[in-house]
Amino acid sequence: MPDTQNTAIRIRNMHKYYGVFHALRDINLDIAKGEKVVICGPSGSGKSTLIRCINRLEEHQEGEITVMGTPLDDNVDNIDEIRREAGMVFQNFNLFPHMTVLDNCTLSPMLSRKIDRAEAEATAMRYLERVKIPDQARKFPGELSGGQQQRVAIARALCMAPEIMLFDEPTSALDPEMIAEVLDVMVGLADEGMTMVCVTHEMGFARRVADRVIFMADGQVIEQGTPEEFFDHPKNERTKAFLSQIVGH
Amino acid sequence: MSHTKSLPKPTALDRLKARFFNTTLNSVVTLVLGAITLWILYNLANWALVHAVWGVDQGDACRANRDGACWSIISTRWRIVFFGLYPFEEQWRSGLACAIMVVVAVLSCIPWFWSARRLPFLWVAGFAAFYILMRGGMFGLTEVVERNWGGLALTVFIFSAVCLIGMPLAICFALLRQSSLPWVARTVGLIIDTVRSLPLLAIMFTFAIVLPFALPSWAIGESLYRVIIGYSLFFAAYQAEIIRGGMQSLPTGQEEAAKALGLGYWHRIGYIILPQAFRNALPPTINQFVITFKETTLVTIIGFFDVMTSGRTASGTAEWSFATLEMYVFLALLFFVFVFSLSRYGAYLERRLGVGTR
Repeated sequence: MPDTQNTAIRIRNMHKYYGVFHALRDINLDIAKGEKVVICGPSGSGKSTLIRCINRLEEHQEGEITVMGTPLDDNVDNIDEIRREAGMVFQNFNLFPHMTVLDNCTLSPMLSRKIDRAEAEATAMRYLERVKIPDQARKFPGELSGGQQQRVAIARALCMAPEIMLFDEPTSALDPEMIAEVLDVMVGLADEGMTMVCVTHEMGFARRVADRVIFMADGQVIEQGTPEEFFDHPKNERTKAFLSQIVGH
Repeated sequence: MSHTKSLPKPTALDRLKARFFNTTLNSVVTLVLGAITLWILYNLANWALVHAVWGVDQGDACRANRDGACWSIISTRWRIVFFGLYPFEEQWRSGLACAIMVVVAVLSCIPWFWSARRLPFLWVAGFAAFYILMRGGMFGLTEVVERNWGGLALTVFIFSAVCLIGMPLAICFALLRQSSLPWVARTVGLIIDTVRSLPLLAIMFTFAIVLPFALPSWAIGESLYRVIIGYSLFFAAYQAEIIRGGMQSLPTGQEEAAKALGLGYWHRIGYIILPQAFRNALPPTINQFVITFKETTLVTIIGFFDVMTSGRTASGTAEWSFATLEMYVFLALLFFVFVFSLSRYGAYLERRLGVGTR
């Protein structure tokens, strides 16, 4: 039995359906506090759906999910509590275009954590400095490059002081020259001990920071292991095929 | 642009040549249309300005003068147009009330007031001041019942009341129509579609004349307010669909990002969804305001003296009936000033909020 004190996310016998389509099949997963997990797999394998189930952007139909000891059920307070504990970064950034970068970062701390403006802004500036764009604080998202927007999105999530960070293909919508600046920030976060779940195809990043790599296909976890085991000695045929496709060209 | 040599800047004459005299046919068209325009303008200026009679109480001079406009009807009877049947010695109240609404309208154009707290506060306060001044019966003001309100003041009252009641109602409708409870969403959808498929005239008539038979006596109230409620419902049905359109044009990622940050439903609606929905829906919203202002004239059918009817009354006496045209020109000008400034303001807002540029 895993130690519940040290478990950040615990998923048991979880199933997810879209109508009759069985999107996730019997997922069992324990992610420890401070663990960095990379989820990869071909498109349509359910990896984004899985990460979106963790903070209830998608609803699962069977099984249990517990995040930081809070059970994810239909209780709205529990859902909001989990969402505050688990920050999320999206493929398309999803910054609020009608607010400045600073307001994007202070909105939820002020509204849902009831922190006063001065403190929220000080925190926001600290995180914006950490993602190396404090000088853009008064600009609107539309005035920033994709890489800068994604770094703001990371800072915005961090302002809620989450225990866990969920990354849903954070570099897939970026121009190649901007991927590095976002990955740098993510590596920095990992080095500081943040619990991270990343859906990504950046295998260099996975090798460097992941404690565990999970390979999914057809809504199931096919194989998981340390980066060394996974990349150098894959066991499953589908994993081998997938790896040869993304590394092979 | 990094041209080292720029072309010489075209003069006004060059542009004129290029646009209007570039071919023989174009030159002929320009000359003919230009001549017609000049002829119309000349006659119009002659009628409206040069030969016009301006002074107060100059009906006789007007009748003797067949070449020019009789603006004397306006300078003599403008009070009826603006205040209708409102008691003469109290008309300053009506004028002040209108001025307050104009000030409120101008103030709400200033970005400082654009917050969810300040804007509603400004409008509710302005509207309360308007109502107290018009209705009286408190603060030492003599009472003037709604039946005696009229003219431009009544039109302004109906318009602002409809917007003030209709807009929050529209937001409620739009949100309820998106409800995750199917029976709520369907019921509200049915209400909206029903109201939208009825003519405004029929709704006003129902609320003014038919409704009193169906209501208990304590709930009947003044017919003016019943009409305003009916009209607000009509406004809300259309505006709700406009807002819903604005909400549906938002990428789903916006709501997801707000959820992922732990924002609750009302915070998501108030800070993320509605501000962006309104920005996207600004052009049709301004359109809705313009239509609503113009259609206030329909209240005349249930016996209210709005600005149109008051104008007709002012030119309806035997003494002034020859000057009906001048009165209509003046009324058209009044409406033009209101609606044109509304649409120019809408255009300014669109530029400022960058509608269509993300």
